[in-house]
Amino acid sequence: MQVQFQILRQHPGESPRIEHYVVETEPGNSILDCLNQIKWSQDGSLTYRRNCRNMICGSCAMRINGRSTLACKENVGQEVARFCPDLKPGELPTLTIAPLNNLPVLKDLVVDMKPFWGKLDAVQPYISSAARQVPEREFLQTPEERSRLNQVGNCIMCGACYSECNAATVNSDFVGPHALAKAYRMVADNRDGETESRLEKYNEGTDGVWGCTRCGQCNSVCPTEVFPLDQISKVKGEILARVDDQKSRAVRHRKQLIELVKESGWIDERKFGVNVVGNKGRDLAGMASLAPLGWRMLTKGKFPMGFEASEGASEVRSLIEAVQDSQK
Amino acid sequence: MTVSPVLSATQNLFIPQKLQYAYFPGCVAQGACRELDQSTKALTRALGIDLIELKKASCCGSGTFKEDSQLLEDAVNARNIALAEQLGLPLLTHCSTCQGVIGHVDERLKTAKTENPAYFDQVNGFLTQQSCSPYQGSTDVKHILWALVGDYGLEAIAAKVTKKLSGLRCAAFYGCYLLRSQTNGFDDPVNPQSMENIFKTVGADVVMYDGRTQCCGWPLSSYASDQSFTMAGGHLQSALAAGADCIVTPCPLCHMQLDSRQSEIEKVIGQPLGLPILHLPQLVALALGVSPKELGLDRHLVSTRSVLEKIGL
Repeated sequence: MQVQFQILRQHPGESPRIEHYVVETEPGNSILDCLNQIKWSQDGSLTYRRNCRNMICGSCAMRINGRSTLACKENVGQEVARFCPDLKPGELPTLTIAPLNNLPVLKDLVVDMKPFWGKLDAVQPYISSAARQVPEREFLQTPEERSRLNQVGNCIMCGACYSECNAATVNSDFVGPHALAKAYRMVADNRDGETESRLEKYNEGTDGVWGCTRCGQCNSVCPTEVFPLDQISKVKGEILARVDDQKSRAVRHRKQLIELVKESGWIDERKFGVNVVGNKGRDLAGMASLAPLGWRMLTKGKFPMGFEASEGASEVRSLIEAVQDSQK
Repeated sequence: MTVSPVLSATQNLFIPQKLQYAYFPGCVAQGACRELDQSTKALTRALGIDLIELKKASCCGSGTFKEDSQLLEDAVNARNIALAEQLGLPLLTHCSTCQGVIGHVDERLKTAKTENPAYFDQVNGFLTQQSCSPYQGSTDVKHILWALVGDYGLEAIAAKVTKKLSGLRCAAFYGCYLLRSQTNGFDDPVNPQSMENIFKTVGADVVMYDGRTQCCGWPLSSYASDQSFTMAGGHLQSALAAGADCIVTPCPLCHMQLDSRQSEIEKVIGQPLGLPILHLPQLVALALGVSPKELGLDRHLVSTRSVLEKIGL
């Protein structure tokens, strides 16, 4: 089959440009096979990272047809079927290739991974050294204890999740899904002696878990099913079990949501604003920040004047309390 | 149970047999976006779809229950789904977040029923202890977008259109949970088409832009508003640059962010926007001849007048 590749190319300090290459290939070949074919027989200047060609090393992560993935993982036939479904007779299927997002481009499809590694380092991705000073034999783990690390252990640090992370795009201090998935791996590891100080660190501001906007892109694109968002949620759960709602507005957001559902089944958004942003009147600046929005909603007739609790409110309350009691 | 539209023997039109759903209203449509509840009811009435409202249902947790524990998210939403199961109807949402959360719980518990029965029994144990009906895994959870496209059918909707929205340039804003929460969602999460197919069906023009599958920033708005509004602002700018007259969303949380907070977004990005944001049921109902007033289009914080003028209302 003939396939056209539309590749976003860039030299340092220059504007990106699009180049087109037509490749004769087989449906079962990978995108990486096609890039190699272009490089080896059409344009030796095309630059990209590659190594294992087997989804182990994570080197060939790039944006293919609008999402970040591994060039060695995706195959041409499936990409054409998924992204070029309505071809007219004689029209060539066109696949788009671009470098990862959220990282500076060095050349063509090669991005500078230094910020990515720096952010991984920020979560202290090593078992604490105190726990490593095991005097005699190796540090034993039961198979069950080890199994808690399996899913996150599959991470190959390819950068696909970081590239799609909506929070990283607007917050350069956010450490990112790869780092926070690793953070959960540290928290879940029974050999690590620094759980409490780690959780304090991951709880700070919006550099850590509270910077995540739950867009779910990381879960969606991860080629090895680490599901970073799920791991971030687990770190949040560990933090929420340890702090009260005066710790921060982000924590209060979570705690108050559950409290309001326990109260009425549905959330009374007026109370949610006052309790979370205004800290029930204690945060005067927060209270004041709600006023313009409230006023605009009032003048448009949008402000909810009334609120009706769910007819199942008491049932929901006892259900939530039973679940919470079982976890104490 | 729902049935697919069939070709009527007497008319040369696709007329769907009566569709019925257990309607899950969600928090926002009963609070800060009551116009969504109104519009969903007006639209389904116009299409002849029956809704039975789940009066005993509760908040899905909007992704926050899961941060407390997965068990909490599963137990509360197993109860919500079981309420629909008691009626023998699919559960209908009209919020991307409610859909993603409840739909994913449904997928997880259906899998657990065979692969992790101990967990399935644990969840149902909590329900029966509190005198709730147990979850069976016998129904489906559907967003109204999916019900319109998949159950009612685009041809059947087209047959009901009395006011083509010709020339109205619509940009979709899908909402994260609708695209990426469920393993077996309705649309391709990278290249979804259902919203755009609805736009074409009601005679509107489709505007494609980068932000349509991205996050509106709502989850950060209460405590990191600059980040949250920068995120939203980028998408609104990109839709405007692509020539959109309005954004249409199947998610009331996105609506709260993009409409109710738009003046705050403008301040953060330092650019006036004035882009009207419509709920999906409002757009479709307009094409069926429902009045803008009945759809609450006069209660948006960003005026929808330019949209109505464009379609001659």
